[in-house]
Amino acid sequence: MKVSLKWLKDYVDFDLAAADLARRLTEQLTETEVLETASTEVRGVVAAKVVTVDPHPDADKLSVCVVDWGEGSSTVVCGAPNVRAGMVSALAVPGAVIAGGRKIEEVTLRGRRSHGMLVSAAELGLEENSEGILEFDPATEIGSDVAGILGLDDEVLDVDEQPNRPDCLGMIGIAREVAVAVGSELRLPEIDLNEVAPGASELCSVEIEDASDCPRYIARVISDVEIGPSPAWLASRLASVGLRSISNVVDVTNFVMLEYGHPIHAFDYDTLAGHRIAVRRARKGERLTTLDGVEHELSGMHLLICDGERAIAVAGVMGGGETEVSEATTNVLLECAWFDPVIVRRGAQSLGLRTDASQRFERGVDARAMETVAARACSLMSELAAGKVARGMVDAGDWEAPPVTLSLRMEKVRSMLAPGPPKEKAAEELASLGFGVKSAADGLLTVEVPSFRPDVRVEADLIEEVARIDGYDKIAHEVPFQSLAITTDPARVARDGVREAMVGLGFYEIMTPSFMERDAVERLGMKPAGEPIELDNPINKEMPLLRTTMLSSILDVVRRNANVGESDLRVFEIGKVFMGPPKAHSERWMLAGAVAGTAGRPGWDREARSVDFYDGKGVLWALAEALEVDSPRLSCYDCPVFERGHAAELLLGDRGVGSFGMLSREVAERWDLPQQVFVFELDLDALVELCVPTGTFDAPPKYPKSRRDLALVVDEGTAAGAIVEAIGELGERLLTDVQVFDMYRGDQLPAGKKSLGFSLTYMSRERTLTDTEVDEAQGRIVTHLVERFGASLRE
Amino acid sequence: MIERLKELRVEAVAAFEGASSASELEEARVRYLGRKSELNQASRGLGKLPEDERRAAGRAVNEIKQELSALLEAAAERLAGGAGGGAGEPDLTLPGRLPWVGRKHPITRTLERLETIFATLGFEVATGPHIEDDFHNFEALNIPADHPARDMHDTFYIEGDKLLRTHTSPVQIRTMQSRKPPIRIIAPGRVYRNETPDASHGSEFYQLEGLYIDKGVRFGELMGVLQKFLGELYGQEVVVRFRPGFFPFTEPSTEVDIECRICRGEGCGVCKNTGWVELLGAGMVDPRVFEAVGYDPDVYTGYAFGLGIDRIAMMMSGVSDIRLYHENDLRFLRQV
Repeated sequence: MKVSLKWLKDYVDFDLAAADLARRLTEQLTETEVLETASTEVRGVVAAKVVTVDPHPDADKLSVCVVDWGEGSSTVVCGAPNVRAGMVSALAVPGAVIAGGRKIEEVTLRGRRSHGMLVSAAELGLEENSEGILEFDPATEIGSDVAGILGLDDEVLDVDEQPNRPDCLGMIGIAREVAVAVGSELRLPEIDLNEVAPGASELCSVEIEDASDCPRYIARVISDVEIGPSPAWLASRLASVGLRSISNVVDVTNFVMLEYGHPIHAFDYDTLAGHRIAVRRARKGERLTTLDGVEHELSGMHLLICDGERAIAVAGVMGGGETEVSEATTNVLLECAWFDPVIVRRGAQSLGLRTDASQRFERGVDARAMETVAARACSLMSELAAGKVARGMVDAGDWEAPPVTLSLRMEKVRSMLAPGPPKEKAAEELASLGFGVKSAADGLLTVEVPSFRPDVRVEADLIEEVARIDGYDKIAHEVPFQSLAITTDPARVARDGVREAMVGLGFYEIMTPSFMERDAVERLGMKPAGEPIELDNPINKEMPLLRTTMLSSILDVVRRNANVGESDLRVFEIGKVFMGPPKAHSERWMLAGAVAGTAGRPGWDREARSVDFYDGKGVLWALAEALEVDSPRLSCYDCPVFERGHAAELLLGDRGVGSFGMLSREVAERWDLPQQVFVFELDLDALVELCVPTGTFDAPPKYPKSRRDLALVVDEGTAAGAIVEAIGELGERLLTDVQVFDMYRGDQLPAGKKSLGFSLTYMSRERTLTDTEVDEAQGRIVTHLVERFGASLRE
Repeated sequence: MIERLKELRVEAVAAFEGASSASELEEARVRYLGRKSELNQASRGLGKLPEDERRAAGRAVNEIKQELSALLEAAAERLAGGAGGGAGEPDLTLPGRLPWVGRKHPITRTLERLETIFATLGFEVATGPHIEDDFHNFEALNIPADHPARDMHDTFYIEGDKLLRTHTSPVQIRTMQSRKPPIRIIAPGRVYRNETPDASHGSEFYQLEGLYIDKGVRFGELMGVLQKFLGELYGQEVVVRFRPGFFPFTEPSTEVDIECRICRGEGCGVCKNTGWVELLGAGMVDPRVFEAVGYDPDVYTGYAFGLGIDRIAMMMSGVSDIRLYHENDLRFLRQV
């Protein structure tokens, strides 16, 4: 809400600079800033009367004028088409400053000396372009400062609009807060109304279809208005808060709305069929063209103002074009009504019209000020447009907002705001805001909430009023020392552990969007993992789904980085995926990531090699080691997202917890990725569940271990893992570890054969092993493997 | 005299060993071994000493000269690039074999810092779902349907009454529903707003919610805890301002500013010339929220607060565009 300080001073006296007032309101009410105003730089421009106008002897378009500016007369040369003797305009005397900081000096134009300049609105920074020089009311005092006349010496505050404070969408509401802030009195406008016959009820009628939509509607009639421009004070009031002056009658409706925060509407009385007003819901498909020239199709959710024949306004939102006040208007029907906030809000939203009026009605306007608001508008119309106000009003709807009375327990105030103000002070503070306060029993106040404060409905609301008026700085800060037992969610701790481990493995953590394209799963070549959840109102129509996989957005990150030359990359994300259907949805934490580019960091003694399956698998096994997961295993996994044969499912125990592998060529092409990319996506909830730390440990052995190597020549098709498993199955008690340390294919072996090297570790917790018992165990293993795989020992 | 020589030796050794360039070393040489050096002058002045002192002093001067000369030579060799290494020795200037280095996302690190601070203040971490319903995200928080306060939340809707949570406040509701007071939690996490991202708003970002419910909790405790938190985060000298604000689920409410750290309150572009930067929203839990979860507002009181983690991260590293945090450009992530 824009608040002009000059205007504000109509209702409250204060002697504070704009910035200081803004700070006080920020500390008491809501965030308030000083707006940069149009042209505080204009100086030395005064009202001057043009006495004579003669053509310039040497220039067709120029005139030579004598102007009287109070302290003397000057001759100026003027090029404006509208200059004429007798008008009062604006003279920039030599030394004056106009818009843009331009300084006015005496100049000679075509041989004639000009002692100053008559200026236009544009030259004062008020308009983009002006047709001619400014013209003021002939009654304007000659020699007075134009900055004052035009309100250029005003300052404007922007007071944050709070959803719960309809009163603060009016100058009087703000002035009430200012009065409290500076300790002065609120001054309400004086309304002086001369009513004439016939009475309003003889001129019009109002009918309300449903009192819950519109509990009260006041109509007044003002006749014989003379539509014309508004006086300067009114135009400048409106201009100061950014509203354009339209005509005296229309300006009055805007002015009163801004003053009281209650929107009112003026209809051209003679365009109203039957001089009737009906308030009713729209019929489905009914149409109305609003003031902005847009035709709307309406339905039963919209509340309409109608005349005897047709819809003429969307109640509380915007009027229609056919009944608006125009230059031809002579009689006005003035509406001052209370519409249900929810209907106004829904109606405005559905039409995409958020107007000054709807904003106020949807917060709940002051139901008890309606007569005053209507009278204020009538008196201004009679004063400024010479209108005759018909006696009385048509007051439809027998409704008065019920009074709201609350109890305030001082004990509650003290316990919440410790120390809190004493009872008398709290009572004073509430009274200053317009609350009716009565002291009841000890330690209790009975508080009547004024009708302009629909936001105050419970005791806590009163405590807030007391707190903010008393000052938040009065409250004693306390840091309590009692502590509560803290329990930590083990799954969350475990996820943090996974994150630490991934970072330790050289991965950057990334955070990608939760949304995905409709065809993302298909483009990845994945099987749809259940029904994805679709947003009703996606921000990006291309990405309407909640992600069911993180791979798509992770590949986006790989590509984006590759595009800027960051192709060596190891990234991971810990995030949520969402599974539908919406009625039975689930959210799961996932760990996903990618390894791309060269296998190790490029160095001077190594050939760069692209990432391959084993690089990626190594990361996952290292992660398992870091998380103390016992013996991760894998099984073959065939899915078009991965290159065939270069992918696997990760098994912990017998449970699959996700898949990993090299990205297939097709998918890489779809994401425009030239390089080899290893990707993985693991179900982190399952992973975390399966790797619960045992909380136990084995003491480091006291006796040395013995190592024996074993090189076997086997068929190409024999998996290393099968041999390791076979060794394990034998159950050699002393064997504690088996590792593959070598694989060889080549000339020294028969075709179709490969050699695998295993390193076996033997150990006892009771004693140092003898060579003999180790050799015997090793012998049993060799015999078993030779038999089982047709292997031979490699010399 | 011997005492002075000892001092001189210590100074000279430090200068030779510490020299990081040939010119620095030459300077040190002139100073400690040059013709006009104190040592040289002492050596020339030996003759004037009494016989019994002359011998000991002469020995000391010579020892120091010899030691310093050797050090000078070693230092010169070191600076001449002796690191190149002879046969079998590594070239110390060649790069080592670097392992990959990883890093947590700056949002994660900011979050961890906040969690650590709040843990010392006795807050435990609570979590909630990201797909919420209208009751937990709005109704129970005293934001009824068709109330203008809903304008503060641009919401992503899913079928029925389901939606993506617009703030972490529904975790308050879920925690109160599932537990009995006293409750002291923080709830960090991702939230969603249907807003076109710009430099200061994302459609997905991170918030941290705090809640404390007990008997007789006072507004001043909220202020005390937040003052303490901000002191831990920004240094105890931080200037904090509590001013009125509006949140449907707290009453009284407050918006918490800190004095702008760029201009120290003088007014600058960062604080839009106000001298203050808004960091938190907070207040005493509205009795209507207690009613929604079945707590008796006459028995319990409490406070709640919320802050934007992205914003804190931005302020910590001077990042002015929130979108950088969600672009995942390694050139950015390496620096913050």
